[in-house]
Amino acid sequence: MRGDHVSPEKSDPSQDPFRQGTIHYSDDPRDAGWVRQNIPCQTACPAGTNVPAYIRAIAEGQHGQAYEINREANVLPGVLGRICSRPCESACRHGWAGNGDPVGICNLKRSAADMKDASHRITERLYAPTGKRVAVVGAGPAGVAAAYDLSLLGHDVTIFEREEKPGGMLRYGIPEFRLPRSMLEIELHNALRLGVQLRTGIAVGAGKGAMRVSTLLADFDAVLLATGCMAPVYLPLRGVPEGADLTQHCQDVEYGLGFLMDLHRGQNKRVGRRVAVVGAGFTALDCARVARRLGGQEVTIHLRTSEEYIPVTSEELFETKREGIRIKGLRTPVALRTDENGRLTGVEFVQNRLGGWRENGRRLAAPIEGSEFVEACDTLIIAIGQKTVNDFLDMRVEVDRSGNVRVAENGMTSVHGLFAAGDYVHGASTAIEAIGHARKIADKIDTWLVNRKRHRMVRMEPVAAPPREPAHDFIPRQHMPTIPLPERHQLTHEVECGYNRDLAGEEAKRCYLCDLRYQIDVNRCIYCRACIEVAPRNCIKLVCDVEVKPDGTHGPLQETKEWQKVAAIWIDNNECIRCGACFKVCPVHCISITRNHFVTVDG
Amino acid sequence: MNASASSAQGPRRYVIIGNGVAGNQAAELLRERDPDSRITILTNSRLLFYNRYLLPQLFKGHQSWHAFLANPPEYYVQRRIEVRRDCRVVSVDTRNKQVKLAHNEPIGYDALLVATGGRSHLPEDLADCRSLFHHFGTYEAAVTTRKALPDNGTVVMLGGDMIGLDLARTLLAVSCRVILVTHETTFWPHKLTAEERADALAALEKMGIELIDGDARGGVTSVEAGAPGLPARRVVFRQGGDLYGDVVMPFYGLTPLVEFMVGTGTDIERGLLVNTTLRTSDPSIYAAGDVCQIWSEQDHAYRFYYGYKNVRAMGAVAAINMTGGHEHFATTQEETLGRDGQGHIDSPFWACE
Repeated sequence: MRGDHVSPEKSDPSQDPFRQGTIHYSDDPRDAGWVRQNIPCQTACPAGTNVPAYIRAIAEGQHGQAYEINREANVLPGVLGRICSRPCESACRHGWAGNGDPVGICNLKRSAADMKDASHRITERLYAPTGKRVAVVGAGPAGVAAAYDLSLLGHDVTIFEREEKPGGMLRYGIPEFRLPRSMLEIELHNALRLGVQLRTGIAVGAGKGAMRVSTLLADFDAVLLATGCMAPVYLPLRGVPEGADLTQHCQDVEYGLGFLMDLHRGQNKRVGRRVAVVGAGFTALDCARVARRLGGQEVTIHLRTSEEYIPVTSEELFETKREGIRIKGLRTPVALRTDENGRLTGVEFVQNRLGGWRENGRRLAAPIEGSEFVEACDTLIIAIGQKTVNDFLDMRVEVDRSGNVRVAENGMTSVHGLFAAGDYVHGASTAIEAIGHARKIADKIDTWLVNRKRHRMVRMEPVAAPPREPAHDFIPRQHMPTIPLPERHQLTHEVECGYNRDLAGEEAKRCYLCDLRYQIDVNRCIYCRACIEVAPRNCIKLVCDVEVKPDGTHGPLQETKEWQKVAAIWIDNNECIRCGACFKVCPVHCISITRNHFVTVDG
Repeated sequence: MNASASSAQGPRRYVIIGNGVAGNQAAELLRERDPDSRITILTNSRLLFYNRYLLPQLFKGHQSWHAFLANPPEYYVQRRIEVRRDCRVVSVDTRNKQVKLAHNEPIGYDALLVATGGRSHLPEDLADCRSLFHHFGTYEAAVTTRKALPDNGTVVMLGGDMIGLDLARTLLAVSCRVILVTHETTFWPHKLTAEERADALAALEKMGIELIDGDARGGVTSVEAGAPGLPARRVVFRQGGDLYGDVVMPFYGLTPLVEFMVGTGTDIERGLLVNTTLRTSDPSIYAAGDVCQIWSEQDHAYRFYYGYKNVRAMGAVAAINMTGGHEHFATTQEETLGRDGQGHIDSPFWACE
């Protein structure tokens, strides 16, 4: 256990495993707590991607290795490197107040995929065949990620997909100018090539000619539902019956996901000169950018709240505006305006004030009575979200209030052998959330099928010297190059160009490498304060107590300025930016550095 | 000062971010109404409060920055107003009531006034050309632009808001050539009907400004460095064609300077949202000037109010309310674009005391 390292009986440097250069594995909750608390990017990633490790590999020019590190957690790095919602960057220590901008983690992920050698060999750690058969319904990100993991674990997996091609939302819901299909094809192929059977064009449902879920349950040892969240949330409008499909009322109204799916199925879509998009997520932005490319001259996104509170990346927002799309906030659509022929002439809105907060952290808007106004438009695209549908099930499955299927701790629904993952469980989320959840469920299915268990340990590797230079703190965030605006009229021309090797190398240097743990051996420290003197921040503290919470994370340090109360001199890893100044100045070499990350082991 | 210490026993701490008309008006009234308080103005400028309305005068010949100062340094000493210059605010910790500076110094406050104004708006599609533009929003920027402009040189103005048109008058007076590429923001913040706009554009031509219809050319697509032997900048239009100038200046209106407030929990749309008492959604934070959108009962919307009279009035209202008053802001600014005796345009937004 790591705790032994600082205990008095291990104070002899010759006995210190880290000084001896040996790799150490720990199942001490404090070490797991340290990793969760101190590597914010990895903790924020729903798939648990080891971000510092792959960024370090990129800094060393090992793009193939970086790709493989990514692939351990997320089987589609080149795809996610283009379209991820980037929760890791929101958590990045470099973006904390006073530290500058977060590292371009997502752009680096893409660079790993783009710059790996042409002859790069994918590595997979395969388990022996189990003889168990698993059916996965849906070939979207959740279905593919689960199928991949289950196939690695030795199960025979068959995916049933309604559409003609796999990919789900990735293929049918995201425009090609954000996600080139060539990249999607390659990574889907790599994910499914370990014997996963892909049966496309097969609808699973209760309708005529459809494959029944009950049939799948009879034919397979386990069935995983990963059908996503594909039904539009309807917009309540004055004069329209509640829950009515607006596209049936006016031909100039579309639902965002349906609009994109039709387009990517090959339909010839058209929009009017003035396009209003209602919604605040990536789908709304995608619809607006597609509408612009389809000839929309005045494309406006209308928000209930304001730009600050919409769940998209600032880069996407910027590129959207750059393409001439306007964004107007604090308004809710309340009615359609049509002419005598039923064609759309405008949308009536009501002005909003910002209200309180939803449970999910999103901002509420409060309409202001009597503040209605009309914005003229020829096409309305409604992209206010999606919901799950359960009418394809030919059996009763417990659902929650939102209509999302309930799953137990073991990942199973209320039906024996029927599991569910991704957006079908949680409602509309992001690709990385769907992948992260699907991997967890795949693990549970494996446990249920063959009673195999795995658990996580912390691998601690000694590091001889600080690998990072202080000058790296001053490197600005490298911006993603994009194609010029005049070239953005095609739907298939990718907008972002990707980093070149120089940009990727510079951006990778910015990472603080939060997986590095600097520790002071209090038994050897002579309390000379040299480390405190050179610390660039208030990161080394004299403490009288350190609270360790039940989950192994640390509570606030209890600092003291009275020497008689000092119990330890402690590196506050919340403040530490891994500059290594303390390590270099220590006259008695009592500061050690280890590289920490989770590993999954059997048993 | 101990940034996080409560001021329960000490004087009340007022912090003003921004060193313009609103901020200085507020500081003056805060001192009058709370003589024992601590008042700190934070500004990223190296100069004390200067009169931005006089900046066009820089183009009439060299003038020392002293000539632009609205108040001498002694003014602040006498009123015990601390002006922290050349410091950039990066965030506000509303829970601990601290303003964080770029060098990590926290400044504690009991009441905060955000009066940072706005910066010249640059449309996102021109962001790649950012480094090739010349600016006018600050004394330092105006000096840089003046140095880049040769005698009788050519200035290309994009957009043409009233700040730019004010400068254009001076440039014409010193025999510069002014080319205006029109845009929907021409005459901003005036709101003109099509007829009024056509009439005003004709007046600009009469003043000697050369007009290019930006919409007819599909808008400006890029600004480039000029080739050797040609003026320093080239403006390229989306539907073909170009024009050259010694300097190219964007005048597309203002973008409120609120970046450091993002994530604080204080309501923002484009600017900081305030009620008519100029209080934000955080009871300890007020906003005044071009940075705030004020709720208008009449319009049922949050509105920006521009112009010297409005901004000064906002500074006063904020100060009164920060010291326990209950004053409401009401605009008295004239907003009609008029004509002078020569038929040239004349805007109330150009007027200052």
